Amino acid sequence: MAEYIIRITPALLAGLDTTLSVFFLTLVLSIPLGILVALGRLSNIRPLVEILKFYIWVMRGTPLLLQIVVIFFGLPIIGITFDRFPAAILAFVLNYAAYFGEIFRGGIDSIDKGQYDAAKVLGFTPAKTYQRIILPQMIKIVLPSVANEVITLVKDTSLVYVVGLGELLRAGKIASNRDASLVPLIMAGVFYLALTGILTVVFQKLEKRYAYYQ
Amino acid sequence: MRRNIKSLILVILILALGVASLAGCSNQSSDQASNQTSQTSNQEPAEVEDSFEKIKEKGQVIMGLDDTFAPMGFRDENNEIVGFDVDLAKEVFKRNNLELILQPIDWTMKEAELNSGNIDMIWNGYTITAERMEKVAFSKPYLKNRQIIITLADSDINSKADLEGKKVAAQAGSTAVDAMYTEPDIVAAFDGGEPILFDTNNEAFMDLEAGRSDAVVADEILARYYIKQRGPEKYKILDEDFGEEEYGIGFRKQDKKLLEMVDNTLDEMRKDGTFDSIYNKWFAD
Repeated sequence: MAEYIIRITPALLAGLDTTLSVFFLTLVLSIPLGILVALGRLSNIRPLVEILKFYIWVMRGTPLLLQIVVIFFGLPIIGITFDRFPAAILAFVLNYAAYFGEIFRGGIDSIDKGQYDAAKVLGFTPAKTYQRIILPQMIKIVLPSVANEVITLVKDTSLVYVVGLGELLRAGKIASNRDASLVPLIMAGVFYLALTGILTVVFQKLEKRYAYYQ
Repeated sequence: MRRNIKSLILVILILALGVASLAGCSNQSSDQASNQTSQTSNQEPAEVEDSFEKIKEKGQVIMGLDDTFAPMGFRDENNEIVGFDVDLAKEVFKRNNLELILQPIDWTMKEAELNSGNIDMIWNGYTITAERMEKVAFSKPYLKNRQIIITLADSDINSKADLEGKKVAAQAGSTAVDAMYTEPDIVAAFDGGEPILFDTNNEAFMDLEAGRSDAVVADEILARYYIKQRGPEKYKILDEDFGEEEYGIGFRKQDKKLLEMVDNTLDEMRKDGTFDSIYNKWFAD
C-alpha cells in the first residue's frame, strides 16, 4: 500500500502543479480586477454601473464550467481563439472578479459616510481617502468572505479538465481508472485538504493582524 | 422604467461594439498567422478545406484522446500516455514521417475539439455509430468489440432473461447503454425499468462488487481490462451479449486525405504483422 502511494505520487504532483498555477494566477489577477469592479459599481457613471451589473449577473448567474466551455469552444466561432491554459485562466479571472467585486463593494459600502466627511475636512483628496482610510478598513471587513471564496477557488480549479488540462483531480481519476482503485482519489482529497488547511491558517493569521480594534 | 430601457439599450450597444472590435483584432492576427504558415491568403473558411497540406507542412498531427481510458489510451505510472490506440497511432505516423502529438481532451467535448481544429482526429476506443457518422468521418473499423454482460462469479444470472428484476449498471454516455436499448423489453424488465448509470466503468464495477448492482454491461475490451485488474476469479461473463460493434478513428469530414493515409497504413500493418504484435502486447491473456 505504502509502496503504491509512493508510486503514484509523482503523477498527482504533476496534476497539483496545474492546480496551483490556475489557483495563484486566478487569485493574483482577479483580486485587483475585483477592486476595480467594486469601485466602478460604486461610481456615479451610470453606463459603467449598468455594464458592471450585467457582467456580475452573467458571471454569477451561469456555471463556471459553462463559461470555460464558451470561452474555449465558443469564441473561436467569432474568430477569437485562446490556447487551453489562457482560456481557462480568463474564465476563472472573469468569474472570480465578479464575486470579489461584490464582496469588496459590500465592504466599502459598510464604512460610515461620516468618515468621508471627516477625511474631506482633514484635507484628504478622494484618492487618498480611499487609499488611507477606506480600503484598509474594507480589507478588515471582507477578510472572512474572501477566505471563503479563496477556498472555493481551490476546489473549482478541478473544472479545467473540460479543456483537457490535467489537474490534480484528473490525475487521481486517471490512476483510479488504470489501477481500478479508490486510493488515488482519496490521495487527491488529502492534497486538497492540505491546501485548504494551509489557506485556513494563513487567513486566520491575517484576520488576527487586522483585528486591531479588539 | 423608461430610463431602465434606455440604459439597457446603451449597455447592449457598448457590449456589441466591444465584441465586434475584439473580433476584428483577432481576425487580423489570425490572418497574419495563416499568411505566415501558408502562402495562400484566401479567405476560404476552414470548414471546407482539407487540412492535409497544412498538417504535412507543419509535420505534426494532433490526436485527441481521453487519458483516463485504459487500455486504449491512458497515463502509466510515469505519467506517459500509453495504450493500444496510442501504440497503433505512433506506428502509423512514424511510417508517414509525421510527428504525433497526444492531446488529452474531455471525452464529452471530443467532437467540438475536432471541428474547432484543436485536434486532427479522435482515436481512443471510438465506437462507430450512426449519430457520430453525421458529425465526423470514420476510418475503416480496426477493432471489433462486443457489449458483454458481467456478474459476480457466484451470481445466479446466466442469460439475458435472468436480468428481469435485477439492477444493471453501465457507464453513462457509453455505447453499452445504446446497445441495451436496442432490446427495450429487456431494459423495461430491469429493476427500476432502466440501467443505473455511472460516470466511469470503474465505478460501475465497484458498485457490482459492493453488491448494489447485479450486473454490468460494458465494452468487452474495457471490461476484460478491468476484470484483469480487479481479479478474474471474482467475475463471470455471460455467453449472451448485447451485440457487436466496431471501433474507428474519427476525422473532420473534409479531411479525406488524412483518413485515406491512416487507412492505408493500417492495412499495411495488418499485412506485415505489426498490428497483431501490438494487439497481443495489450490484449493477450
